[in-house]
Amino acid sequence: MGSAPVTTKDIGPKNPVAKAGEAAVDYVEDRTGARTGLRWFLFRNIPAETSWFQTLGFAAMAVFGLQAITGIFLAMYYKPEATTAYDSIRHITEEVTWGWLVRGMHKWGATAMIVIVFLHMGRVFIFGAYKYPRELTWVTGAILLIMTMFMGLTGYLLVWDEKAYWATVVAINITASAPILGPYVADVLRAGPEMGPDTLSRFYSIHMLVIPGGMATFIGIHLFLVAKLGIAEPPWSKRAYRARRAEEEARRAAARERLPYGRREVSADPATPETVTAGSDS
Amino acid sequence: MADTQGNGAPSPGGQYSGPRAVDPAPPDTHRQDPDYITRTRFLSGVAVAGGAVLTAAILVPLVGFAVADTVKDEEWRWVDAGPLSDFAPGETASLAISGPNPEADRRVFVRYKDNQIIAIWNRCAHLGCPVQYIQAGDNYICPCHGGAYDSLGRTTAGPPPRPLDRFDVKVVADGEDVGRPGDVPGSWRVPRNAPDGARVLIGKAFSIDVDQNPYRLHGPGEEVDGVLANLYPF
Repeated sequence: MGSAPVTTKDIGPKNPVAKAGEAAVDYVEDRTGARTGLRWFLFRNIPAETSWFQTLGFAAMAVFGLQAITGIFLAMYYKPEATTAYDSIRHITEEVTWGWLVRGMHKWGATAMIVIVFLHMGRVFIFGAYKYPRELTWVTGAILLIMTMFMGLTGYLLVWDEKAYWATVVAINITASAPILGPYVADVLRAGPEMGPDTLSRFYSIHMLVIPGGMATFIGIHLFLVAKLGIAEPPWSKRAYRARRAEEEARRAAARERLPYGRREVSADPATPETVTAGSDS
Repeated sequence: MADTQGNGAPSPGGQYSGPRAVDPAPPDTHRQDPDYITRTRFLSGVAVAGGAVLTAAILVPLVGFAVADTVKDEEWRWVDAGPLSDFAPGETASLAISGPNPEADRRVFVRYKDNQIIAIWNRCAHLGCPVQYIQAGDNYICPCHGGAYDSLGRTTAGPPPRPLDRFDVKVVADGEDVGRPGDVPGSWRVPRNAPDGARVLIGKAFSIDVDQNPYRLHGPGEEVDGVLANLYPF
């Protein structure tokens, strides 16, 4: 509370249900500022040229949310033991009600996420939206990309069939072939010198807990930066074009008048500089 | 100028601001001196150090838990691979033996030629796929990326950077060695009159180069000799 007195003829909704709803929202708003924060986040100004390309970022987050939810529900039936993993997935796919659907959403969602994340990255690059002041947005996005790919790697093994097993053997051996520290990183990932049930447990923990926690953190930072810094103008925006034209015109005008060393400011108020021609009195 | 009070206001006109006979009040030098340890700074440092100790007390055991067992060298033991009579001279047998971990079973090719036994691991030296033995050509092919090896496991085609790894092998009967180590390190020379109860044992794995010299066990994809071997010093 404590805002300035507001004069309005609007006395609020008459419907008691709507009134109760309003009261509830006001209760939370007075104690948390949640509605103000949500308004700040949702009702942002955006450039006039914002197009469908700018929806790719939200699409990436939506797919991540889908993966998180379907993953949580799959974890209710998945048994992460070397002897039971494959069978539990078969059980989910064939016997659990709509298990085939939830598992399918998770599996295809993984592919969709990689595609959308790369499209989003390409869009940001082409629009030049990584430049000042958005460098940290790009860096957090790059970290999110690496974490997304690690999610793909760790989740792939959890099926524990021949394809998953050997694909992971090869992937970890590629890691091991990195110079100097590669073998140690591979040993830590593989939980030992050979693949085994410890590897499955470790990958399950990384896939469920470590990386989702990290991704949630970095998505939070990334979103905050996007909301704070605003949507970037594309390089072909009309406003930027007009500004560049005006600068170009001013430069040509100054060159035409042959003013020495650029424009001379004569106005006493430094907020409104005026150019003068070379010959006139100041 | 002469803003001795520090409140930002300009000195009133007319005030003398030149040298004085009386020294002005000494400034609080300790707080402004960055090297002097005030009580505040000391206590702050103690709090930070204590926090660091508490964090380490939690993080060090956790990281050790996750990492320490995984980077140890694997243990090994002699594994009984069956009686010597199972292995016909002049042939290469493929059998599965148990590894040091209960789950790390592996496949080994036991090649018994010219009275010498060598044991070749089926782990491809390129990226670790299981290699297949081709009876007709007496060679090995990897299905993943097309690596090919000859009868002794040396690379003949494809991306593998070194020959197939081998296991130590020996033949024992009643706890005593039968025969002696062969010409090549890791191989075993079997005498013609081996006793009936002789059994073949498979031991520790090691890597070899093209000339069959032994090296410590390398992971797939790592060179054992040449310049690139320096990339893998551990």
